Amino acid sequence: MPADTTTDEQRPGTPDDAADVGRGLDALDTPTEQRTPLWKRFLTGVVPPIVAVVLFVVVWQILWASAIWPEFKLPSPQAVFGQIGTQLADGQALSIIWTSISRAVLGFLLAVVIATPIGLLVATVPLVRSAIGPILTGLQSLPSVAWVPAAVLWFGLNDQTIYFVVLMGAVPSIANGLVSGIDQVPPLLPRVGFAMGASRSQSARLIMLPAALPGFLGGLKQGWAFAWRSLMAAEIIATSPSLGFGLGAYLNQGQSLSDMSSVMAAILLILVVGIGVELIFFRPAELRVLRARGLATGP
Amino acid sequence: MTATLERSTPDPRTGPPALDVRGVSKVFGSGTDAVVALDGVDLSVAPGEFVCLLGASGCGKSTLLNLVAGLDRPTSGTVETSAARPAVMFQEAALLPWLDAGRNVELPLRLAGIGRSARRERAHELLALVRLEGQADKRPHELSGGMRQRVALARALAAATGLGEGGTTRHEPGVLLMDEPFGALDAITRDVLQAELLRVWEATGTTVLFVTHDVRESVRLAERVVLLSSRPGRVVREWATASDSDPEELHGDITGELREVISAHAR
Repeated sequence: MPADTTTDEQRPGTPDDAADVGRGLDALDTPTEQRTPLWKRFLTGVVPPIVAVVLFVVVWQILWASAIWPEFKLPSPQAVFGQIGTQLADGQALSIIWTSISRAVLGFLLAVVIATPIGLLVATVPLVRSAIGPILTGLQSLPSVAWVPAAVLWFGLNDQTIYFVVLMGAVPSIANGLVSGIDQVPPLLPRVGFAMGASRSQSARLIMLPAALPGFLGGLKQGWAFAWRSLMAAEIIATSPSLGFGLGAYLNQGQSLSDMSSVMAAILLILVVGIGVELIFFRPAELRVLRARGLATGP
Repeated sequence: MTATLERSTPDPRTGPPALDVRGVSKVFGSGTDAVVALDGVDLSVAPGEFVCLLGASGCGKSTLLNLVAGLDRPTSGTVETSAARPAVMFQEAALLPWLDAGRNVELPLRLAGIGRSARRERAHELLALVRLEGQADKRPHELSGGMRQRVALARALAAATGLGEGGTTRHEPGVLLMDEPFGALDAITRDVLQAELLRVWEATGTTVLFVTHDVRESVRLAERVVLLSSRPGRVVREWATASDSDPEELHGDITGELREVISAHAR
């Protein structure tokens, strides 16, 4: 082979060379995912809230020990946790919590069933959006406790009143979450779907709904929070033996008996249930969805 | 260096055009606000031909592409394509972020009602064609911009050609419409992807209508460059980038004409 000619393999710009450059670029440009080790996530995610709670209890203990307020206004942490302990021990706490949670879950599921078609209609039909869109947003800022008196007069002191208030609290949040989820879908995605030959129902099922999922999940999360607090408002105001004995009723009873440790125990339990459901169900679901799309931030 | 020199002379194209645009006008708005985006555009693309639509911004090249893709309707004139539905590729890859690369490529086949195993096999075939074998289970956010755009190319090929030769349906080389698909990429990646596109085009025999504002890109890729004027968009001139013409000379020629078209708006 003469020295002044090069073979095809050596000349720049030949297909093999291009393939190598391409592979090199792929290797260089591929985003590297950094996985934080478990202990680090534990250190940054779990430890700080625990420390905060411990600090809070310590401050509370100190305030109680300094006896600035009388015992019936500020019971000791020990008294409150003891109250919860005895309630748990004789099984009453579980029955109280179960009464409330079962109502909240049922009300929440009902709200999802009602809010999803409403959200779909508002998001996709312009006339429906201009008609009830603003009302839906407005309802979100109306405290659902305002519905309690009306509901009592309409339905009487029964479960219908409770569920009505829960629905009025949760439905607007869930529907609005779905609407904003659909609004935030990049307009290019349905265009691409149409260009690939998607029918309207295929586009809704395979493109719009999955694309709107993060917003919808956000709405569900907020909907749960609203369902829970609406339920508590309803249970505190509308008390009757026929309504069963939930956390709200327990709180109300504490007030009428001037039993501050019961009141604080009830508040703590309400808080724990609200946070617990969020941490056990919504946070993992949300993280899963966001991770799959490369949208998750933080640990 | 340019691929134009290496390309073998294509077979003489016979039969009806893959893509036929006749007297197409597109007006946006009405009354005094009306903007004429396209005015009496005629364009015919033979099966298997690679045509670049070149023009400055506002020349309605994307509008024309959308009309051909069926995403919009012309105000007057007709658009006919041999393929039932030409596939489109945009500047953004527009992959569905919740689906992995393989399922993104499968999507047009899924929309066409093709069974899972057949479409999975085809998706792997097409990913291998764009040199992404073994990446089928990566999500779009785990891929680089150039790799995403290649997944989009594989998906467009799936839309244009269905199951390809291995399928039970008639083999269709299909029509691929590309709207500045490499515009958002860095120079090196763009260079590599241009070479990849030419390779894929030669391997599949797909008809390509490629929109760009980059003269060099059009000279490198296309067999025929069509220059559109701006506001209203009209076909100004066409060049054939035959293998014996000097690409540098052609580049200068087209650039000169394009500058003239643009400076006409200064007066």
